[in-house]
Amino acid sequence: MATSSATYPAEGTPIPERREPLIPNGVLGMLIFIFTEVMFFSGLISAHAIVKSQAAGQMWPPYGQPRLPVEETALNSLALLVSGVVLVLAWFAFKREKSAARIPLFMAMLLGIAFVGLQGVEWAALLADGLTIQSSTYGAFFYLIVGTHGLHAVGALLGLAWAFRRLDHDVLTSAQLATVSAFWYFVVLVWPVLYWTVYL
Amino acid sequence: MARALTLLGVAVVALAVFPEGVAACPVCFDSSDENRMAFIATTAFLSLLPLGMVAGAGLWLRKKTKERGDDPFDPNRPEP
Repeated sequence: MATSSATYPAEGTPIPERREPLIPNGVLGMLIFIFTEVMFFSGLISAHAIVKSQAAGQMWPPYGQPRLPVEETALNSLALLVSGVVLVLAWFAFKREKSAARIPLFMAMLLGIAFVGLQGVEWAALLADGLTIQSSTYGAFFYLIVGTHGLHAVGALLGLAWAFRRLDHDVLTSAQLATVSAFWYFVVLVWPVLYWTVYL
Repeated sequence: MARALTLLGVAVVALAVFPEGVAACPVCFDSSDENRMAFIATTAFLSLLPLGMVAGAGLWLRKKTKERGDDPFDPNRPEP
């Protein structure tokens, strides 16, 4: 078998120790993914800003379109923000003792599920009021931006559920928890920007 | 090759001298101030955001590297 002298260390030379990566591979991959997602949402926000500035008579929401439930969604947003804080607590609990993260992780998931569920209720009410994706650019942007965020929230919740299951089986690593948490933090932190853009 | 480069040069000069010819963007030359401002602001936002994110990530990694004590740019770093 042909071997290259460059491949193996010279005889007697100690093999260098493998260093720990600066950040776990999963977290790095998730961060790169989040970068692309930030750009995706920025594109949507920018398109919304341009279309809004072109609205007839600078009237936004356009005449005859239902108004969005600003106060109810603010309360719902609070649930999402609290879930982010609870997930931070879950992280510190995990660092202290793995099993201590079960309750905060579960609470963060519950709050996230409540957010998605209440968004669904809000959508049903808006559809009943006549705001559809085809009724106006206002409706189109609302469902596109909020719907995309909702899909991300569902994806992140699935990630948290996966982490919870692994935690339950005592096989969850801190890198795995950090990876799914990073995505949830993204979902939590991008929401106030979307709320301000779409609702206010 | 030289002909292609000449053509490319002519095209670049033409586009620089007559920029209206490439005004395909429907909002860039709108008469509404608000629309123009929105266009400029979003262009700046979308241009600077990725640069800011990459720079931020680079600085964060640099900080973590320094904390670990193996900053490749440190002049006092021992030879590996």
